[in-house]
Amino acid sequence: MLASPRRLLATVITATVLAVLLPATPAAAHNQLINTVPERDAVLQDPPAEVVLEFVERLDPKFTTIVVTDAGRQTVATSSPEISGSRGVVRFPEPLAPGTYTVAYRVVSLDGHPVQGSFRFTVGGDTPAVAASDEPAETAAPDASATDNDTTSGVSGTTIAVSVGLAAVVLALVVGVLLRRRSRSEQR
Amino acid sequence: MGKQETRPARRTPRPCTTILAASAAAALLVIGGCSSSDSEASNQPTPTPSATGSFAIEDPWVKAVDEGMTAAFGTLVNRGDADVRVVSATCQDVPRVELHTMSMQGGTMVMKNQPEGFTVKAGETHVLEPGGDHLMLMDLTKPIRAGDTVSCTLTLSDNRTLDFTAVAKPFTGAEEHYDPSDHGDHGEHGDHDGGHH
Amino acid sequence: MTTVSTVITMADTTDAATGAAPKQPKVTRRRLLTGGALVAGGALSAAGITAGLSGAASSSRDREPSPTSFGEQVEPFYGPHQAGIATPAQAHASFVAFDLQPGVDRAALGRLMRLWTDDAARLTQGQPPLADTEPELAVLPARLTITFGFGRGLLQAAGLDDQWPDAVGSLPSFSVDRLQPRWSGGDLLIQICADDPVTVSHAQRMLIKDSRPFATVRWIQQGFLRSRGAHQEGQTQRNLLGQLDGTTNPKPGTPEFDAAVWVSEGPEWLRGGSTLVLRRIRLDLDDWDRLGRVEKEYVLGRRLDNGAPLTGVEEHDPPDFDAIDESGLYVIPEFSHIRRAHVPDPRLRMFRRFYNYDQALGADGQAEAGMIFAAYQADVQRQFVPVQRKLAEADLLNKWTIPIGSAVFAIPPGCEPGGWIGERLLA
Repeated sequence: MLASPRRLLATVITATVLAVLLPATPAAAHNQLINTVPERDAVLQDPPAEVVLEFVERLDPKFTTIVVTDAGRQTVATSSPEISGSRGVVRFPEPLAPGTYTVAYRVVSLDGHPVQGSFRFTVGGDTPAVAASDEPAETAAPDASATDNDTTSGVSGTTIAVSVGLAAVVLALVVGVLLRRRSRSEQR
Repeated sequence: MGKQETRPARRTPRPCTTILAASAAAALLVIGGCSSSDSEASNQPTPTPSATGSFAIEDPWVKAVDEGMTAAFGTLVNRGDADVRVVSATCQDVPRVELHTMSMQGGTMVMKNQPEGFTVKAGETHVLEPGGDHLMLMDLTKPIRAGDTVSCTLTLSDNRTLDFTAVAKPFTGAEEHYDPSDHGDHGEHGDHDGGHH
Repeated sequence: MTTVSTVITMADTTDAATGAAPKQPKVTRRRLLTGGALVAGGALSAAGITAGLSGAASSSRDREPSPTSFGEQVEPFYGPHQAGIATPAQAHASFVAFDLQPGVDRAALGRLMRLWTDDAARLTQGQPPLADTEPELAVLPARLTITFGFGRGLLQAAGLDDQWPDAVGSLPSFSVDRLQPRWSGGDLLIQICADDPVTVSHAQRMLIKDSRPFATVRWIQQGFLRSRGAHQEGQTQRNLLGQLDGTTNPKPGTPEFDAAVWVSEGPEWLRGGSTLVLRRIRLDLDDWDRLGRVEKEYVLGRRLDNGAPLTGVEEHDPPDFDAIDESGLYVIPEFSHIRRAHVPDPRLRMFRRFYNYDQALGADGQAEAGMIFAAYQADVQRQFVPVQRKLAEADLLNKWTIPIGSAVFAIPPGCEPGGWIGERLLA
């Protein structure tokens, strides 16, 4: 039996974690991209078999679009997005030729707000034609005149990194507390 | 205008299209030739034909009732150049029809049989309406349901007769009361508002 | 549509002479339910009555507005189609649904529809119906239309269920539905529209009074658009989301509209009529307001200010559903309302004639705003159901629009003077 003060501590910590990961302010209450494979602006020797996008919130298959285009803005054939939780994957039926590709996504947050953005990667030994200094392509609300670099009207990547880092620290604390609790109860 | 028979046309109630078709065939109501959908144009007076003296009832209707008695209304129109009196009325399947007026007695409106009938002066109208003069249809043997039609005939003081069809409407307004001194033989006193269902 | 009518204008001199209470002038016309004339007497000319009387035919009118006031404007009642569908939407509407009382049969329905047809033919022309206890309220028609619809229950009560068109059928349930019985169903419907709310109220009351021996009121949905004269005639109306609504509607008077709206197949009694799907759609405006403007436009697929599609400049620019932006995404999003609702062939589109609603506080203290979505089409199964399915599957707008009521009606064709609505079915 766990003492209630411990349980209370665990609850508070969990709540804090969630509060950090899903902040309540409108600008940040959106489903944000937190990880991609390949990574943003990666230069790959071999063409990838798939693209993986990982978001903060779980995805709704009805409202998830992932599109890959080449340097000539032609759509590249992919499978439909396979969704599991907050992860979306598209696979390439054909290996990609060398060149720079844009992965664009359009998803919907839990609160219904649409979010879209894009990133690039390059296949082949050539250095990418475009410098790897693109703005973090995360937008809360897409601009009607969207350019190559999505507008940064939403939360910046730095804030995401900080939030994620903080969350990781808190998560470690929680895990530590829970482990200690468990070892204690096992000792009984 | 010759003497007319007092025989009223006995028609069984039919779908109203048949009645109107018959009326139209007899050219008894002439369409004034207006086809405008604009209310302004349609309310313009139309030219005078020569006066031959004629009488009509416009918009007749009767209160729907389950049993007992009920009232019929409409607007009497005397287009002629002589005063006309409506002296009696009959309705198909109605044992008795009387002409009734309303008058104030002791603070309430009371209904009375009007043996002299209703006078409509030359060139004028006389409205039969709830709270005013009306035809009383009495001793009903069956209900008059909302949407039913009742065929009636008015007899005028100059022996002309006027056939018309009244439609039954649900109606619960303008309550009326009998004058007991006038209608002891009916055994029906108090409210006789016939519009309830 | 033309109105065949007789004008009999009578001045109220009678009453001044006798000293009785003055009465309102009565303007009557040849009607289904009035037939009165001399037996073998002289021809009774309507014109003669007008002329034979005091002659000041319009002096007793006593109307304050000018001749151009919209209060006096009239929409024709008679014609091959019922009014109130192709009619330019009036500012105020009331939709009243009825349940038939047990025992109401085909003959009773005939009596009801003859009464109602006569009421409607008079009211729409600015005249009080028979037995109207507030005749003064009838004299400003303000483009009043009264449109009747039959639910399947009516045909069943009449013993005519086999005459229910397959094109209407019944609506399947959609995943987005949150239907409440209190806003759904009905054996009979009346749609009452006018540019003046007092006119609507009076017409509604009169029709309900005449229904009492036959039916009970099931629900009433009242709605509004811009007041007459508030914005330019012919401008697309806005719903309470702020969206211009109706841009792609088939246009009345065009062959596309006729093909889309008027029934031309199926049971004979409905030819020249239409069908109506009436959905009550609650709007979650508090949540909608949390979206940024640009987000709203992505949900809709159109700009909010002028209704242009995101690929266009003006409201009526055709949307380019193939256009993609620099990153490869469709400019008009996959989940946007106009993409999900798009029907390429205008002859297969529904004709939407919506009204906004904004309810007073309910018992729970919540105000509720939304849309009375009235869709007219020749074939519910071909024109309404597929679009509603596509919307239910993946229209992002669903998150803020919740159907809470649904009903389907067959809209009989119009009639001529002497006829009545529903005659071809019930006579």
